[in-house]
Order: sequence, then C-alpha cells, then structure tokens
Amino acid sequence: MEILTGLLNGFAVALEPANLLWCFVGVLLGTVVGILPGLGPPATIAMLLPLTFNMNPAGAIIMLAGIYYGAKYGGSTTSILMNVPGESASVVTCLDGYQMAKKGRAGAALGIAAIASFVAGTVGVLGLMLVAPPIAKFALSFSSPEYFALMSLGLALVVLLAGRSIVKALLAALVGLWIASVGTDLFSGTSRFAFGQMELLSGIDFVVVAIGVFALAEVLANMEAREETQLLPVPKGLKNLLPTMQDLKDCRFAFVNGSVIGFLVGALPGGGSTIASFLSYGLEKAVSPRREQFGTGVIEGVAAPEGANNSETGGALVPLLTLGIPGSGTTAILLAALVLWGFKPGPLFIPEHPALFWGLVASMYIGNVMLLILNLPLVPLFAQVLRMPVYVLYPLILGVSMVGVYSVSGSMFDLLLLMVFGMLGYLMRKLDYPAAPLILGLALGAGMERALRQSLMMSEGKLSILVSRPISAVMLSLAVLVLLVPMFGKFNAWRLRALEQG
Amino acid sequence: MTSRMSLIALAALLCAPPSFAQGFKPARTVDLVVHTGPGGGSDVLARAIAVMVEKEKLLPVRLQVINKPGGNAAVAAAHLAEKKGDPNTLGLFTGVWLQTPLVSAEAKVTLRDLTPIARLVLEPAVIAVKADAPYRTLAEFIEAAKKNPGQLKQSGGSNTSRDNVVRQLLQKSTGARWAFISFPGGGERIAALLGGHVNIMVIEPEEAGEHIRAGNLRVLAQVSEKRLAKFPEVPTLKEAGFDVPVVPQVRGVVAPPGIPKENVEFWQDFFRRLTRTPSWQKYIEDNQFEDGYQNAAELAKFYDEFTDRMREILKDAGVKTVR
Repeated sequence: MEILTGLLNGFAVALEPANLLWCFVGVLLGTVVGILPGLGPPATIAMLLPLTFNMNPAGAIIMLAGIYYGAKYGGSTTSILMNVPGESASVVTCLDGYQMAKKGRAGAALGIAAIASFVAGTVGVLGLMLVAPPIAKFALSFSSPEYFALMSLGLALVVLLAGRSIVKALLAALVGLWIASVGTDLFSGTSRFAFGQMELLSGIDFVVVAIGVFALAEVLANMEAREETQLLPVPKGLKNLLPTMQDLKDCRFAFVNGSVIGFLVGALPGGGSTIASFLSYGLEKAVSPRREQFGTGVIEGVAAPEGANNSETGGALVPLLTLGIPGSGTTAILLAALVLWGFKPGPLFIPEHPALFWGLVASMYIGNVMLLILNLPLVPLFAQVLRMPVYVLYPLILGVSMVGVYSVSGSMFDLLLLMVFGMLGYLMRKLDYPAAPLILGLALGAGMERALRQSLMMSEGKLSILVSRPISAVMLSLAVLVLLVPMFGKFNAWRLRALEQG
Repeated sequence: MTSRMSLIALAALLCAPPSFAQGFKPARTVDLVVHTGPGGGSDVLARAIAVMVEKEKLLPVRLQVINKPGGNAAVAAAHLAEKKGDPNTLGLFTGVWLQTPLVSAEAKVTLRDLTPIARLVLEPAVIAVKADAPYRTLAEFIEAAKKNPGQLKQSGGSNTSRDNVVRQLLQKSTGARWAFISFPGGGERIAALLGGHVNIMVIEPEEAGEHIRAGNLRVLAQVSEKRLAKFPEVPTLKEAGFDVPVVPQVRGVVAPPGIPKENVEFWQDFFRRLTRTPSWQKYIEDNQFEDGYQNAAELAKFYDEFTDRMREILKDAGVKTVR
C-alpha cells in the first residue's frame, strides 16, 4: 500500500507539465546520443550538468535519467545496420542483429530491439520500485570472489560463441584477455605491454577494438568481392519492416531472461551492462531449441541482450539510490549531480526525499513509453539506410566508425589502433577465427584479473577463497558445467559413432 | 582544431606588446583538464568550479571541463605538456599527478615540467569501520591486527593512493600488519566495507557522512591536523596516540609549460579570488574540505617537499620508484 501511495505521488510529480517536458527532452537526447557511436551518456550528462543548476531537482534528475536509459534504446541501431557497436553493451547485438540486416530483416531487428528495450526497461523500473532494499542487500554480499566467479561464468560462454572450432574460439578469447592486460596495473601502478607509449598507459579502449574487429573487418572483407556487391535487401511496406507475431512469440523467453539478468547484474556495483548483455545472450542460446542457428540472425539473439542492457539501468539505480554507491560511469555522474544539487545520496535518501525518488520511478515508466513511441517510427526510416549503394554505405560505415572512436577519447592514437584492430579482425575472418570471443575476453579480462587478485589479497594467497564462499562456488560450478557439457555431447557423438562402426 | 586555435593564441601572444600582455585576459573558452572521467573526484570539483565562475561572473569567457582520463593522470599531464605556451588551458591536479611519475617510467611529465598556479584544497579523511565491528577505537583495531597479522583487511584505491600511505605509516609506527585491497571505484570500496568483506577504510568524510548518519558505519579517527567541524567527538590520529604525518589529498591548478609570467599572475589571482567567493566557501564546507590556497611560488615549494616525502613513504611501502 505504501508503494501504491508512493507511486501515485510519484506520478503527480512526473506528470507536472514541466517535468513531462524534461522527461521528453531527456529521452530524446538519450536516443540521439545512443544512436551516435562513441559519445556516451556519461559525457552527455556531464556536459548538461551546468544547465541543471537553475532547474527544479526533480525535473533535472528526471531529464538526466532519461538520457541514461534513452541512450540504451538507440545503442543497437548502428550495431544492427552497420555492424558498428556504439558502446560495449551493444557488441552482442551485432552477432545476430547485423546478420538479420543482411537477410533483409533489419527492420524486424530494430523493432524487436525497441520492444525488448521497452519490456525489460519497464521490468527494471518495477524491480527498482518493489525490491530495491533487499536487492541492495544481496548486492552487498558480492565481493571480489563472487565477481571473479560471475566473470568466469561469462567467459565460459566462449564455448557458446564458438563457431566450428572451440580451439580457435579459446585462442581468440585469450588474445582478448591479453589486450585487456595492456595499460597500468591497478595494484602496483606499473605499466604493462605499453612499449613506452604514453597513450597505452590507460589501456586499450573496448569500443576501439570492437568497432575495429566488427565494422572495419566487415567493410574490408566486403571490398574484396570484385563484382558489384549485392545491396542489402530492404523489403517494401511498413508491415514487412516491423517484427511479426511469430517474432514476438520467439522472443517470449528472451524478454524474461533479459529483464531478470539485466536487473540483477545491474544491481551489482561491479556488474555493468556489458556482462549483463553477454550473460543473457549466452543463457538464451544455451536454452534455445535452435541453438545452432545463433549468430546467423536469430531474433531472440537481439531481444535478450538489448533487454538486459535496458533492465540494467533499473538495477544500476538500486545501489545508487538506496546506498549512494555508483556502479558505473553514468551512475557516478548522476551521484555527482545529486551532490551538486545539495542532496546527500545514501541510505537515508529515499526515506528523506520520497517525492524525488517516486517522481523518478514514475517518470521512468512514462519515459519508456515515450521511447517506444519515439523509436518504432524510426525503424522504417533507419532501415532505409541500407538502400544506399555500397560505394556510399561503406565509406559511411568507415566514417561513422572513426568519428565514434575519436569522440570517445579525442585521440589520434586511438584511430591508429582502430586501423590495427580492423586489420586484425580481417585476418581473423580470413583464418576463420570468431571475433566475439576476443571481445568477450577483452570485456571481462580486466575485471576478472582484478577480482582474482583482490580475492587472493583477501585470503593471503589461498585459492580456496573462491570455492569456500557459497555464491562464488555455485557460479564457478555452473561455469565448469557450461565448459564440460559440450565436451560430453562430443564424447557421446563419438561413442555412438564408434558403436555403430564397432 | 584546438591545436590550431592554441597556435593562433600563441602567435597573438608573441606579437602582442608587453603592455598588452600585462592586462592578460583569456580571449576564448578556457579548458580545465581533469584526469578522471565524468563523475570522478576531480571532474566533480572542476564542474563545480565552472558553475561558480558563471555564477560569480569571474571570467569574461566560459570555462569548460576536458576529461583526459587514463594512465593514473599521465595522459592528462602529457596533454598539458603538449599545450606548451597556451594561456587558455589549465589542469586540475591531485596527489596522483605527483605520485604517478614517481612509480611509472612512461609517465614522463612531472608537475615540475608544468607551470604551478595555485593550490586549492586539502581533503582530510576519516578512518571508518562497520557499525557492528568490535573495535571502538583505532587502538583496538591495531591490537586486533597485531593478534592476527595479515588477517584484517582495508579497502582503498591503488597502492600509491593516500589510503595506502596512511596504512603504511600506521603499520610502520605500530608494527601491526593488515592487508590492503585495491578497488578502482570508490563505490566498490565502500560496498566491500558495508558487505563485511573488509574491516576498515580510509574514507572522505562526506562520503562516509550518510552511512554514519544511517548507523552503518562508525568513525575511529580522523586523518587531519585538527578535528573537523562535523566530527567533534572523533580524535585525530595524533590524539588517538598515533604520531604519524598527516597525509592530505591535495587539489590544485597547473598550467602548460612556457607561459608568460603575466598569465601566471592572472591565474593565481583568479583562483585566489575564486576561493574568497561565498559559493566556494559553501562548497568546501559542504564537502568538508580544508581551504588550502597557496600561490604559485608556495605551490612549487610544496610540490618539492611533498614529492620527497612521498618518495620515502613509497620506498618504505616496497613500491619501486623510478624518479
């Protein structure tokens, strides 16, 4: 009942015309920022921060949060249309989204991304509203050993992302882990694999590698063909551009999966949307009856990670609002904004500022509806991009890639790195090495290493800490299971063949 | 684009007669470079400064924050070094800018290579434990650590951070030993303490404030020369019986190398005026910072002393220094 009155009061705040307007401004800006690769929500929010000082705090937080979750909607656009992952969380969307576009289903992929984002985004807000305090408590029970186990589980998904050869996938994952180790060691402050290059001290940005091995490699590989390459097919008619009933039916589980995984991983201060999207894609693939078709343009392969990416927002606001603990770059700047407006985010924030909290929650319901209405009509529009002839489209992809990378750091060095990783991606493609495991290794490498070393500092070097804690033990067992099951399958197939022959 | 603009600015500066240079005023948007991403400690302070500059009308032009994260401030320092002679670029430094060149050979730009402008604030810290921890005083914690060497844990930043330096100093003076676990984000550090995964933390008073008020954390001692206004009951390290040097987190402003004396004077005067404004006074009170204003000459002296002291402390901590 308390929740109901809170929510009603919240809607009273969120439906004030000014706040409604700020909500719309936020989600619109978020959508634009999300579509443009590179420039992400933290930078956008930071730029707008000085403008919010003369605003009513409720309107300001509603707008800034709108940018945060609005950006998650647009993130999939370039992944699907151009194989250019705009930020780390939309890398997985490339796997099936771009393949769908190649088959002429770009509209369906974009549409399902918007619908999954809406469903899971709303579930994430529901979670924030209903279970924030117990989830925050659960999140605190996670520390380094648990994070290590969670990331091991994520890395074990490599076997699911593998193409024909598991060995090649594992090799690619190891290269990813190695790239993740470049930069400054957190614990000793010494540099690793920096080769005396100052620019490498901060490590290699994830987006640079992802855009290189996905987008640039794609363009390079397609330029090889001597004959005029076939344009990507785009069906005519609005109806053929949106997901069908069958598509929605296929995504039933993906909606649930994305919502739950995204929210739970988001609530962990060391989680993040990248691991959430990878985990939900892996889970989706593991339980799917058409597992073997993943990576060739399966619609639930877009719905699950896009859902997780959006539900993560609701999750990430849990530790921020209930404990004052930011888990990611964006929540850190939201925290800074609250402090600059004179609030003290912490355990007493919600009880002492109920109007602000409930206004934000209510605005997020409204904002998600706005985003759905805003994004669905954009689908046919964006799908037209693919009608362009290749001699326009490929330079455009190259341009978008470079602008995206440059806008992250403003460094020419990163553009050189982009070229290097484009070549690497091209070579991997030629030699039939899958790119996704490399990206997964890179995404998890730094966090995994850190968590392992923190765990060992906690236990004075005893590895037993990883299995003596229940949550971490369960997740590590799951990881082992994920790694071993395909081997048993192979073993079984081999045994059956041997039986037949014997 | 920016480099061309700085070239033009440089050219204008060289052509200008001395009398003009004396009345230096920035002609275009001023870049304030920070070494953290949006939301980091320096970023927040820089954005607060940008807002105060607008509010108190201290500059004829806008001041914008430029994030150059990475390499423990080495990237931001190098960016400033590249802007040699540019009067419209400033950097907001912290202790990390001093410590990184000491331990990393690649971090070639020290604060000595840049132009000191002003020191702004000193941030004190408090030593906190979970509210249900058995230790009532720092001495009790030290006793417990002595009984179980290496078993108790502290969460903090990198091992050149102030947190670890305080631990090293306390360990050296008492002979106790406990583990230090590095977390890159402030959120994870405090989550580890609240979740009971570590036992103690050196924390900024404002960050701990709400958790103390909610009854989640308890403060054992404060790392400052005198008691903070909001912690009148809590002893300083010296009062608690630990006579170790107080290591503050320091924040201040530097400029690129090779800028004229008039510009240095303009900026040092500008920041002195900033620190006198009511907005600034309120900001540092809200955040429980200490006013640490020093002018350019004092900052240069402070830098040399601080570097020498830090080198000794890092050596004692077993960290290899390269400079």
